[in-house]
Amino acid sequence: MSAAVAPGAQRFVAHAMGMPISLALRGAHAEDSAGVRAWEDVLAQVVEVDRMFSTYRADSFVSRLGRGEVTIDGCPPEVAEVLDLGERAAERSDGAFSVWRDDRTGARRLDTDGIVKGWAIERAAAALRRLPDTDFCLSAGGDMVCHTALPAGQAWVVGIEDPLDAARLVATVRVRRGAVATSGSAHRGDHVVDARTGRPPTGVASVTVVADRLTWADIDATSSFARGPEAAAWLEQRPGRVGLVVWKDGSTTTIGRL
Amino acid sequence: MKRIVTAILSTVTVVVLLFGYHTSTSGALATSSDTSVVSELPRPSSGATTDSGTGAGTSASSGTTTFDGSTAATRWGPVQVQITVAGGTITDVSVIQYPSGNPRDEEINGYALPILIDETKQSQSADIDMVSGATVTSQGYLQSLQSALDEANL
Repeated sequence: MSAAVAPGAQRFVAHAMGMPISLALRGAHAEDSAGVRAWEDVLAQVVEVDRMFSTYRADSFVSRLGRGEVTIDGCPPEVAEVLDLGERAAERSDGAFSVWRDDRTGARRLDTDGIVKGWAIERAAAALRRLPDTDFCLSAGGDMVCHTALPAGQAWVVGIEDPLDAARLVATVRVRRGAVATSGSAHRGDHVVDARTGRPPTGVASVTVVADRLTWADIDATSSFARGPEAAAWLEQRPGRVGLVVWKDGSTTTIGRL
Repeated sequence: MKRIVTAILSTVTVVVLLFGYHTSTSGALATSSDTSVVSELPRPSSGATTDSGTGAGTSASSGTTTFDGSTAATRWGPVQVQITVAGGTITDVSVIQYPSGNPRDEEINGYALPILIDETKQSQSADIDMVSGATVTSQGYLQSLQSALDEANL
């Protein structure tokens, strides 16, 4: 069995927010300066967002907000937008998702990382959407926005990594206009915890969600993963979601039309 | 992990955060801002031909080319992935560098895996554009695999 890499896509790679950002471009502006400018625009926006939201920068708005040194009104409007998303995510996940966490000392800490990545890439992708007659697939650390200029254009094919064996894929999904996000513990260990218990989820190895927008694909993948044994059941009841849950025993559950 | 990595990188992020390059034959691409290029993915092992020997059964009339993903430093050690391409088709994906001392070394190094295992069995010959997986930092297998895909640029 073998697979081919799709022909014709121009590729760009950079590192920002501590993760690889990959872009595949096809069509009218895949190889011209307008395409390159759009890519640079994407990266500039990602860097800007990182400055606002990085929990690893003491001077980011989020860090200062977490320490109570600044109010939301004193932050750029994007900060309020992300915090609002965080509240909606907490509601929809019955508290499994939270932008607040307790650090090692037990102090409450603001951490918007679970929201910012998807939201930032979705937002930055606007620069690519403006390119006429051009298809793109923009990925940040394995979560991506896909777009085809024509509604029935050539679909992007996304391989879903096997969380139990990084040398394999467990499935592929074709996406024209939409987003794919995966949450799991394969590369970073137990970095996701159920905010209700403060503990890493059990039973589930990864959750992939396909949705129309990356912001919610990403949030839902994380929320679902955090629920552990309830991951698939929770995702089932999210309207319009398509997804794949891989369990730690290697079995899988598909949700929707995957 | 991201925390660790970012902690290490935090002092240089401002300078280093943004670098871009074309992975096509046009070579390095200067970004508009005054940022530094830190590193680049390795070029493909140019024209290196290998006999994959996996008996994949595809007609490899035009010979095969291998592309090495970038070596990714993980908390467990360096990881590097290589893909073999024949006639526009990936015939093999292998981990050519894996953290030493890992008990799964031998098992994983012994693998010569197809890249696409579709649960639905409907798109075994499908093209792969991107890989979705648990979030990686600038490290790890996924990066290496993705970079090899980027490098192949077929």
